[in-house]
Amino acid sequence: MEYGLKPLGREKFWLWALLTPTLIGLIFGALGSVAATLLLSFAKWDLLTPPTWAGAVNYINLFKDPKILLSLTNTIKFTAIYVPGVVVISLFVAVLMNRKIRGVGLFRTAYFLPAVTSAVATALVWNMIYGKDTGILNFILERLGAPPVCWLCTDHAMYAVIIVNIWGAIGEGMIIFLAGLTAIPREYYEAAAIDGANGFKQFFRITLPLITPSIFFQVLISTINAFQAYDYIYMLTRRGQGDSSVPVVVFSIYRNAWNFFNYGGASAQAIELTVIVAVLMAFYFWLERRYVVYE
Amino acid sequence: MKSRLLVLVMIVSLVLTACGGANAPAASNAPATISMMMWGDPAELEVWNQIVADFHQAKPNITVKVEVSDWDSYWTKLKTLLSASTPPDVFAMDAPLYLDYQSRGVLLNLQPYLDKNPDMLNGVYPQTLEAYKTSDGMYGLPRDFQTIVLFYNKDMFDAAGVKYPTADWTYDDLRTAAKQLTKVGADGKTTQFGFYSDLWDMELIWSEGIWAYGGDIINADHTKTLIADPKAHEAWQLFHDMMFEAKSWPDSTTAGEYGGDPFLAGVAAMTTIGHWAVPGYADANFKWDVAPMPKGPAGQATSVNSAGFVVGKASKSPDAAFEFLKYVLSEPAQKRLAELGFACPVLKSVAESDSFLKQKTQIDQKVFLDSLTFAHMKPVFKGYDEWSSAIGDGMAPIWTGEAELDPTLDASVKAADDVLANNQ
Repeated sequence: MEYGLKPLGREKFWLWALLTPTLIGLIFGALGSVAATLLLSFAKWDLLTPPTWAGAVNYINLFKDPKILLSLTNTIKFTAIYVPGVVVISLFVAVLMNRKIRGVGLFRTAYFLPAVTSAVATALVWNMIYGKDTGILNFILERLGAPPVCWLCTDHAMYAVIIVNIWGAIGEGMIIFLAGLTAIPREYYEAAAIDGANGFKQFFRITLPLITPSIFFQVLISTINAFQAYDYIYMLTRRGQGDSSVPVVVFSIYRNAWNFFNYGGASAQAIELTVIVAVLMAFYFWLERRYVVYE
Repeated sequence: MKSRLLVLVMIVSLVLTACGGANAPAASNAPATISMMMWGDPAELEVWNQIVADFHQAKPNITVKVEVSDWDSYWTKLKTLLSASTPPDVFAMDAPLYLDYQSRGVLLNLQPYLDKNPDMLNGVYPQTLEAYKTSDGMYGLPRDFQTIVLFYNKDMFDAAGVKYPTADWTYDDLRTAAKQLTKVGADGKTTQFGFYSDLWDMELIWSEGIWAYGGDIINADHTKTLIADPKAHEAWQLFHDMMFEAKSWPDSTTAGEYGGDPFLAGVAAMTTIGHWAVPGYADANFKWDVAPMPKGPAGQATSVNSAGFVVGKASKSPDAAFEFLKYVLSEPAQKRLAELGFACPVLKSVAESDSFLKQKTQIDQKVFLDSLTFAHMKPVFKGYDEWSSAIGDGMAPIWTGEAELDPTLDASVKAADDVLANNQ
């Protein structure tokens, strides 16, 4: 077989024959699910009786139902703080890890550990850290003379949860940024040092512009993760019957579909989520065209 | 060339196998295989496997396949199977959720079978059958029941010199004892609470409190939520005072730090819960026993709830499925369930026999049975899941200390009424 050339005759047949299984899977599995969700978002379906056409009722409800609106605002708030947090902190960590000091491998491993640990297990530990009367954080605060804080009560829960999510995502961000940082030739820094640039100037004039591709990628991935965040939030803030004190859209979709017999409403929310993410993606790509530097 | 043909054949056969084969429909009546789905943990599965084996001996032409999941996955799995019209033949049902399924036409009406077997339900406690009765017959049958009683930690009572709860206790006695049993350490942190109960689900304490004060949960045609009415409000006020004034009841954030059950953690002296907690509490490192729920101004009240079985309407072996249900309500099966210790058998003869009264855990089992005389049925209506979420979610901020009782209660009732309106 020859690579990189337009397939002719026999090869074209084999190309399609070998791709078909995957294509069928994708069409019926992924695309089919999306199409089904889109159709269902216009229907009223309780899973047990046949669906009935409901027009735009589910979409209008998205803006009227206070629970749905709350989960949307929570998700947006979460994303707005989480994404910059993750990008800045993991970039900072990556810059620190980008040097040949002794034990750097150990540090990198330590930062990456949350990414490979079960979220449920780590969330249980975080529950112990955040506990109001028995938590480690409050223990430290009291020893320092400060009043204990109810970390997981409604007013602080959002921030507590964001901290845990950022902590969990630093490792992956660090890997991405390390890859980008090591691609910057050392000569640039040496030339700049000769010209009298200090550490800060070097960072903002050399490092930052040259890792904009990594930053772009990291912002993209973090946004998608932020909208799908579920496991830490669930483990830290759950209340009875699948509820949470910080409900996000994923919670709402699940509960509407499986607890409230409202599959149509859940589908409409899923589409809403997709549209929001798509709009953000379009915005990011526009930013990429303007600001990202490719060598 | 040959190898390419071989590859093509391999791919095609892989695709065909991956498509999977549809299950062949069950053959006609004699030798039938029925599927049974339920929620539970490994200990329950073992007992049910034994019941199924006994059933197979009694009726060798019927084989039952048992499938167990945990509570959350069970309902998701069940709904998926129902929406694909391939329901299990027999599946477990929780009484409050029963109408959500029955009203959507996915359950088989068992009345014709019951009419053919008129004596089948004679020995069953009538209160447990109430939930399954509809205007055109029964679409399900109970298999065991739960009543809520007061559990108390004998060691803590002894240490504080407080007399054990009796059948004459009132809610004021409960409040006083709870205060006496609450200990605060030198640093101002409470080391022992007098009482704890879950306030999200009505079954644990708040429905009982409301009934004991003369209020009610919902009106007869399920259009109005009544939990904010004056008499019911007195019950809420009692709970609120115990939690925030007397501080003898931990708020939900504190309770969460003890794994959600301060009684089991040995931090609360009393709790109200059903018989399902008994096997778990059996391993506790303190001595405990049970007493009936306290009396309120309007009398004594507790909640009775049952788990039952229903038959899927699209079942291909309804006769075999009903035979299994019949067996579950018979003495041998009920005896095995009693020995399991999770719930109370619905068959009077077994409940009042040693199989239930003299179990491994040496407590006053009779309390659960006697409570039936003043038990109210846990409400069951269409939209129950969403309605209870509207109330549970809405009121949760009260119990973390972040919201006021009255306005939040009213707002939750309004949200709950909206759910009822949507489900008429």
